Amino acid sequence: MKVEKRSKLQIYFDILQLLCEKTEEGDRPCPTRIAHKANLPYDRFRSCLDQLVQLGMVSRGEGKLVVTRKGLEYVEWHRRMNSFLKHMGLLS
Amino acid sequence: MYTQALVTSELVSTVLALVLAYLFLRAYRLTRSSYLLGLPTGFLLLGSSYVFLGASLVFESNVALSEQFLWLRLITQSYGFAFIAFTYYFSSKTERATKHFLSVISFASAITILLFFVALIVAPPFPELPSINVVDECFRIGNLVFLGYVIYHVVKRLESSHEPISGLWAPTAFSLLWLGQYSSLIWEIDASETAFVFAHAARLASLALFIRIYYSSGRVRR
Repeated sequence: MKVEKRSKLQIYFDILQLLCEKTEEGDRPCPTRIAHKANLPYDRFRSCLDQLVQLGMVSRGEGKLVVTRKGLEYVEWHRRMNSFLKHMGLLS
Repeated sequence: MYTQALVTSELVSTVLALVLAYLFLRAYRLTRSSYLLGLPTGFLLLGSSYVFLGASLVFESNVALSEQFLWLRLITQSYGFAFIAFTYYFSSKTERATKHFLSVISFASAITILLFFVALIVAPPFPELPSINVVDECFRIGNLVFLGYVIYHVVKRLESSHEPISGLWAPTAFSLLWLGQYSSLIWEIDASETAFVFAHAARLASLALFIRIYYSSGRVRR
Protein backbone atom coordinates (compact mmCIF):
# COMPACT_ATOMS: atom_id res chain seq x y z
CA MET A 1 0.00 0.00 0.00
CA LYS A 2 1.33 3.42 -0.95
CA VAL A 3 1.63 5.76 2.04
CA GLU A 4 0.95 9.47 1.36
CA LYS A 5 3.86 11.74 2.30
CA ARG A 6 2.92 13.99 5.20
CA SER A 7 3.33 17.73 4.82
CA LYS A 8 5.47 19.67 7.28
CA LEU A 9 2.33 21.24 8.77
CA GLN A 10 0.78 17.80 9.23
CA ILE A 11 3.93 16.61 11.07
CA TYR A 12 3.82 19.69 13.35
CA PHE A 13 0.16 18.98 14.04
CA ASP A 14 0.87 15.31 14.84
CA ILE A 15 3.62 16.27 17.30
CA LEU A 16 1.50 18.96 18.98
CA GLN A 17 -1.49 16.64 19.22
CA LEU A 18 0.63 13.90 20.84
CA LEU A 19 2.08 16.42 23.29
CA CYS A 20 -1.46 17.62 24.14
CA GLU A 21 -2.68 14.05 24.65
CA LYS A 22 0.21 13.24 27.00
CA THR A 23 -0.36 16.43 28.98
CA GLU A 24 -4.12 15.70 29.23
CA GLU A 25 -3.33 12.20 30.50
CA GLY A 26 -1.12 13.80 33.16
CA ASP A 27 2.03 12.17 31.79
CA ARG A 28 5.33 13.89 31.30
CA PRO A 29 5.86 13.83 27.52
CA CYS A 30 8.93 11.72 26.73
CA PRO A 31 10.63 12.94 23.48
CA THR A 32 11.68 9.44 22.37
CA ARG A 33 8.18 8.07 22.77
CA ILE A 34 6.61 11.09 21.04
CA ALA A 35 9.05 10.70 18.13
CA HIS A 36 8.14 7.02 17.86
CA LYS A 37 4.40 7.70 18.02
CA ALA A 38 4.71 10.52 15.46
CA ASN A 39 6.46 8.01 13.19
CA LEU A 40 9.59 10.15 12.89
CA PRO A 41 13.32 9.39 13.20
CA TYR A 42 14.64 11.02 16.37
CA ASP A 43 16.88 13.57 14.61
CA ARG A 44 13.98 14.69 12.40
CA PHE A 45 11.78 14.93 15.47
CA ARG A 46 14.37 17.11 17.24
CA SER A 47 14.56 19.54 14.31
CA CYS A 48 10.73 19.74 14.16
CA LEU A 49 10.61 20.34 17.90
CA ASP A 50 13.22 23.12 17.60
CA GLN A 51 11.06 24.69 14.90
CA LEU A 52 7.96 24.47 17.11
CA VAL A 53 9.88 26.08 19.99
CA GLN A 54 11.11 28.84 17.66
CA LEU A 55 7.53 29.41 16.47
CA GLY A 56 6.44 29.72 20.09
CA MET A 57 4.11 26.72 19.94
CA VAL A 58 6.06 24.59 22.43
CA SER A 59 8.07 25.69 25.45
CA ARG A 60 10.79 23.82 27.28
CA GLY A 61 10.19 24.67 30.91
CA GLU A 62 12.24 22.81 33.57
CA GLY A 63 13.14 20.14 31.02
CA LYS A 64 9.46 19.59 30.33
CA LEU A 65 7.76 20.02 26.98
CA VAL A 66 4.63 22.17 27.21
CA VAL A 67 2.27 23.19 24.38
CA THR A 68 1.75 26.96 24.56
CA ARG A 69 -1.49 28.86 23.94
CA LYS A 70 -0.32 29.54 20.35
CA GLY A 71 0.28 25.81 19.89
CA LEU A 72 -3.18 24.97 21.24
CA GLU A 73 -4.73 27.51 18.87
CA TYR A 74 -2.89 25.91 15.96
CA VAL A 75 -4.13 22.43 16.96
CA GLU A 76 -7.69 23.77 17.20
CA TRP A 77 -7.44 25.49 13.81
CA HIS A 78 -5.98 22.34 12.21
CA ARG A 79 -8.78 20.18 13.65
CA ARG A 80 -11.40 22.61 12.43
CA MET A 81 -10.02 22.78 8.89
CA ASN A 82 -9.62 19.00 8.73
CA SER A 83 -13.21 18.54 9.85
CA PHE A 84 -14.38 21.14 7.31
CA LEU A 85 -12.57 19.37 4.45
CA LYS A 86 -13.99 16.01 5.60
CA HIS A 87 -17.51 17.43 5.70
CA MET A 88 -16.96 18.84 2.21
CA GLY A 89 -16.01 15.35 1.01
CA LEU A 90 -12.44 16.36 0.17
CA LEU A 91 -10.67 14.17 2.73
CA SER A 92 -11.52 10.63 3.81
CA MET B 1 -38.21 47.50 -7.47
CA TYR B 2 -37.88 44.16 -9.31
CA THR B 3 -34.39 45.07 -10.57
CA GLN B 4 -33.41 46.29 -7.12
CA ALA B 5 -34.37 42.93 -5.56
CA LEU B 6 -32.36 41.08 -8.20
CA VAL B 7 -29.30 43.31 -7.78
CA THR B 8 -29.51 42.78 -4.00
CA SER B 9 -29.68 39.03 -4.53
CA GLU B 10 -26.56 39.19 -6.75
CA LEU B 11 -24.80 41.35 -4.19
CA VAL B 12 -25.55 38.92 -1.34
CA SER B 13 -24.46 35.98 -3.52
CA THR B 14 -21.20 37.78 -4.33
CA VAL B 15 -20.44 38.40 -0.67
CA LEU B 16 -21.21 34.78 0.25
CA ALA B 17 -19.09 33.44 -2.62
CA LEU B 18 -16.16 35.68 -1.62
CA VAL B 19 -16.43 34.53 2.02
CA LEU B 20 -16.36 30.93 0.78
CA ALA B 21 -13.32 31.64 -1.42
CA TYR B 22 -11.54 33.02 1.66
CA LEU B 23 -12.51 30.00 3.82
CA PHE B 24 -11.29 27.56 1.18
CA LEU B 25 -8.07 29.51 0.85
CA ARG B 26 -7.55 29.00 4.59
CA ALA B 27 -8.18 25.29 4.10
CA TYR B 28 -5.56 25.28 1.34
CA ARG B 29 -3.06 26.87 3.72
CA LEU B 30 -3.47 23.89 6.00
CA THR B 31 -2.69 21.11 3.55
CA ARG B 32 -0.81 23.04 0.83
CA SER B 33 -2.26 20.54 -1.64
CA SER B 34 -2.30 22.34 -4.97
CA TYR B 35 -5.60 20.79 -6.05
CA LEU B 36 -7.35 22.59 -3.16
CA LEU B 37 -6.61 25.92 -4.87
CA GLY B 38 -9.39 24.99 -7.30
CA LEU B 39 -12.05 25.73 -4.68
CA PRO B 40 -11.11 29.34 -3.80
CA THR B 41 -10.56 29.96 -7.53
CA GLY B 42 -13.93 28.40 -8.34
CA PHE B 43 -15.84 30.41 -5.76
CA LEU B 44 -13.97 33.58 -6.71
CA LEU B 45 -15.07 33.05 -10.32
CA LEU B 46 -18.63 32.35 -9.17
CA GLY B 47 -18.53 35.57 -7.12
CA SER B 48 -17.36 37.54 -10.15
CA SER B 49 -20.10 35.95 -12.28
CA TYR B 50 -22.69 37.31 -9.82
CA VAL B 51 -21.06 40.75 -10.08
CA PHE B 52 -21.32 40.61 -13.89
CA LEU B 53 -24.96 39.51 -13.69
CA GLY B 54 -25.69 42.40 -11.30
CA ALA B 55 -23.87 44.80 -13.64
CA SER B 56 -25.93 43.56 -16.59
CA LEU B 57 -29.08 44.40 -14.60
CA VAL B 58 -27.80 47.82 -13.57
CA PHE B 59 -26.91 48.71 -17.20
CA GLU B 60 -30.08 47.13 -18.59
CA SER B 61 -30.88 50.24 -20.65
CA ASN B 62 -27.61 49.88 -22.59
CA VAL B 63 -28.35 46.62 -24.43
CA ALA B 64 -24.87 46.14 -25.91
CA LEU B 65 -23.09 46.68 -22.58
CA SER B 66 -25.60 44.55 -20.70
CA GLU B 67 -25.05 41.69 -23.16
CA GLN B 68 -21.28 41.98 -22.75
CA PHE B 69 -21.67 41.59 -19.00
CA LEU B 70 -23.90 38.55 -19.58
CA TRP B 71 -21.18 36.97 -21.73
CA LEU B 72 -18.64 37.56 -18.99
CA ARG B 73 -21.01 36.03 -16.43
CA LEU B 74 -21.47 32.98 -18.65
CA ILE B 75 -17.76 32.33 -18.99
CA THR B 76 -16.78 33.02 -15.37
CA GLN B 77 -19.66 30.95 -13.95
CA SER B 78 -18.89 27.89 -16.05
CA TYR B 79 -15.18 28.19 -15.28
CA GLY B 80 -16.08 28.45 -11.58
CA PHE B 81 -18.09 25.22 -11.66
CA ALA B 82 -15.39 23.55 -13.75
CA PHE B 83 -12.74 24.46 -11.15
CA ILE B 84 -14.89 23.06 -8.33
CA ALA B 85 -15.46 19.82 -10.29
CA PHE B 86 -11.74 19.50 -11.11
CA THR B 87 -10.88 19.96 -7.43
CA TYR B 88 -13.07 17.00 -6.53
CA TYR B 89 -11.66 14.97 -9.41
CA PHE B 90 -8.09 15.62 -8.28
CA SER B 91 -8.85 15.09 -4.59
CA SER B 92 -8.74 11.32 -5.18
CA LYS B 93 -5.46 11.48 -7.12
CA THR B 94 -1.95 11.64 -5.73
CA GLU B 95 -0.35 15.00 -5.08
CA ARG B 96 2.31 14.42 -7.73
CA ALA B 97 -0.29 13.71 -10.41
CA THR B 98 -2.22 16.89 -9.68
CA LYS B 99 0.63 19.38 -9.32
CA HIS B 100 1.50 20.17 -12.94
CA PHE B 101 -1.87 19.36 -14.44
CA LEU B 102 -3.67 21.87 -12.26
CA SER B 103 -1.08 24.57 -12.98
CA VAL B 104 -1.60 24.07 -16.72
CA ILE B 105 -5.41 24.20 -16.36
CA SER B 106 -5.22 27.33 -14.17
CA PHE B 107 -2.87 29.07 -16.58
CA ALA B 108 -4.99 28.19 -19.62
CA SER B 109 -8.19 29.31 -17.86
CA ALA B 110 -6.66 32.60 -16.73
CA ILE B 111 -5.51 33.34 -20.29
CA THR B 112 -8.92 32.44 -21.76
CA ILE B 113 -10.86 34.60 -19.28
CA LEU B 114 -8.42 37.48 -19.71
CA LEU B 115 -8.61 37.33 -23.50
CA PHE B 116 -12.39 37.15 -23.39
CA PHE B 117 -12.52 40.08 -20.97
CA VAL B 118 -10.22 42.19 -23.16
CA ALA B 119 -12.12 41.19 -26.31
CA LEU B 120 -15.49 42.16 -24.87
CA ILE B 121 -14.57 45.31 -22.99
CA VAL B 122 -11.84 46.84 -25.13
CA ALA B 123 -12.84 45.69 -28.63
CA PRO B 124 -16.14 46.75 -30.22
CA PRO B 125 -19.08 44.28 -30.02
CA PHE B 126 -18.88 41.26 -32.32
CA PRO B 127 -21.97 40.97 -34.53
CA GLU B 128 -21.15 37.33 -35.38
CA LEU B 129 -21.54 36.13 -31.75
CA PRO B 130 -24.47 33.71 -31.34
CA SER B 131 -27.50 34.69 -29.27
CA ILE B 132 -26.68 34.83 -25.55
CA ASN B 133 -29.87 32.89 -24.70
CA VAL B 134 -28.94 29.90 -26.89
CA VAL B 135 -25.39 29.78 -25.56
CA ASP B 136 -26.63 30.27 -22.00
CA GLU B 137 -28.69 27.07 -22.21
CA CYS B 138 -25.67 25.09 -23.46
CA PHE B 139 -23.46 26.49 -20.70
CA ARG B 140 -26.09 25.70 -18.06
CA ILE B 141 -26.24 22.09 -19.23
CA GLY B 142 -22.47 21.99 -18.85
CA ASN B 143 -22.78 23.47 -15.34
CA LEU B 144 -25.32 20.77 -14.43
CA VAL B 145 -22.88 18.08 -15.58
CA PHE B 146 -20.05 19.59 -13.49
CA LEU B 147 -22.26 19.87 -10.40
CA GLY B 148 -23.69 16.38 -10.93
CA TYR B 149 -20.16 14.99 -10.89
CA VAL B 150 -19.38 16.91 -7.68
CA ILE B 151 -22.52 15.57 -5.93
CA TYR B 152 -21.66 12.01 -6.98
CA HIS B 153 -18.08 12.42 -5.75
CA VAL B 154 -19.07 13.95 -2.38
CA VAL B 155 -21.65 11.24 -1.65
CA LYS B 156 -19.14 8.52 -2.60
CA ARG B 157 -16.42 10.08 -0.42
CA LEU B 158 -18.72 10.55 2.58
CA GLU B 159 -19.86 6.93 2.26
CA SER B 160 -16.30 5.64 2.38
CA SER B 161 -15.22 8.04 5.14
CA HIS B 162 -13.26 6.45 8.00
CA GLU B 163 -15.09 8.58 10.55
CA PRO B 164 -18.87 9.00 10.66
CA ILE B 165 -19.80 12.44 9.27
CA SER B 166 -22.89 13.93 10.84
CA GLY B 167 -25.37 15.24 8.27
CA LEU B 168 -25.19 15.35 4.52
CA TRP B 169 -24.80 19.11 4.36
CA ALA B 170 -22.25 19.24 1.53
CA PRO B 171 -24.29 17.06 -0.89
CA THR B 172 -27.40 19.10 0.07
CA ALA B 173 -25.60 22.38 -0.63
CA PHE B 174 -24.29 21.16 -3.99
CA SER B 175 -27.75 19.76 -4.83
CA LEU B 176 -29.27 23.19 -4.15
CA LEU B 177 -26.66 24.74 -6.42
CA TRP B 178 -27.60 22.14 -9.06
CA LEU B 179 -31.32 22.89 -8.59
CA GLY B 180 -30.56 26.60 -8.96
CA GLN B 181 -28.90 25.97 -12.33
CA TYR B 182 -31.70 23.62 -13.38
CA SER B 183 -34.38 26.19 -12.46
CA SER B 184 -32.49 28.85 -14.43
CA LEU B 185 -32.51 26.51 -17.42
CA ILE B 186 -36.27 25.99 -17.06
CA TRP B 187 -36.71 29.76 -16.82
CA GLU B 188 -34.64 30.21 -20.01
CA ILE B 189 -36.94 27.76 -21.81
CA ASP B 190 -40.43 28.70 -20.58
CA ALA B 191 -39.89 32.04 -18.76
CA SER B 192 -41.55 30.64 -15.64
CA GLU B 193 -41.54 33.17 -12.82
CA THR B 194 -41.54 30.44 -10.16
CA ALA B 195 -38.44 28.82 -11.67
CA PHE B 196 -36.69 32.20 -11.73
CA VAL B 197 -37.44 32.94 -8.07
CA PHE B 198 -36.52 29.38 -7.04
CA ALA B 199 -33.20 29.61 -8.93
CA HIS B 200 -32.19 32.66 -6.88
CA ALA B 201 -33.45 31.22 -3.59
CA ALA B 202 -31.70 27.87 -4.16
CA ARG B 203 -28.41 29.58 -5.00
CA LEU B 204 -28.52 31.81 -1.91
CA ALA B 205 -29.48 28.85 0.31
CA SER B 206 -26.65 26.69 -1.04
CA LEU B 207 -24.00 29.38 -0.52
CA ALA B 208 -25.28 30.02 3.02
CA LEU B 209 -25.23 26.28 3.69
CA PHE B 210 -21.56 26.02 2.69
CA ILE B 211 -20.72 28.70 5.25
CA ARG B 212 -22.80 26.85 7.83
CA ILE B 213 -20.74 23.69 7.14
CA TYR B 214 -17.57 25.63 7.96
CA TYR B 215 -18.91 26.97 11.26
CA SER B 216 -20.54 23.69 12.30
CA SER B 217 -17.29 21.78 11.64
CA GLY B 218 -15.67 24.00 14.26
CA ARG B 219 -17.60 22.07 16.88
CA VAL B 220 -15.44 18.95 16.61
CA ARG B 221 -15.48 16.11 19.08
CA ARG B 222 -12.28 15.54 21.02
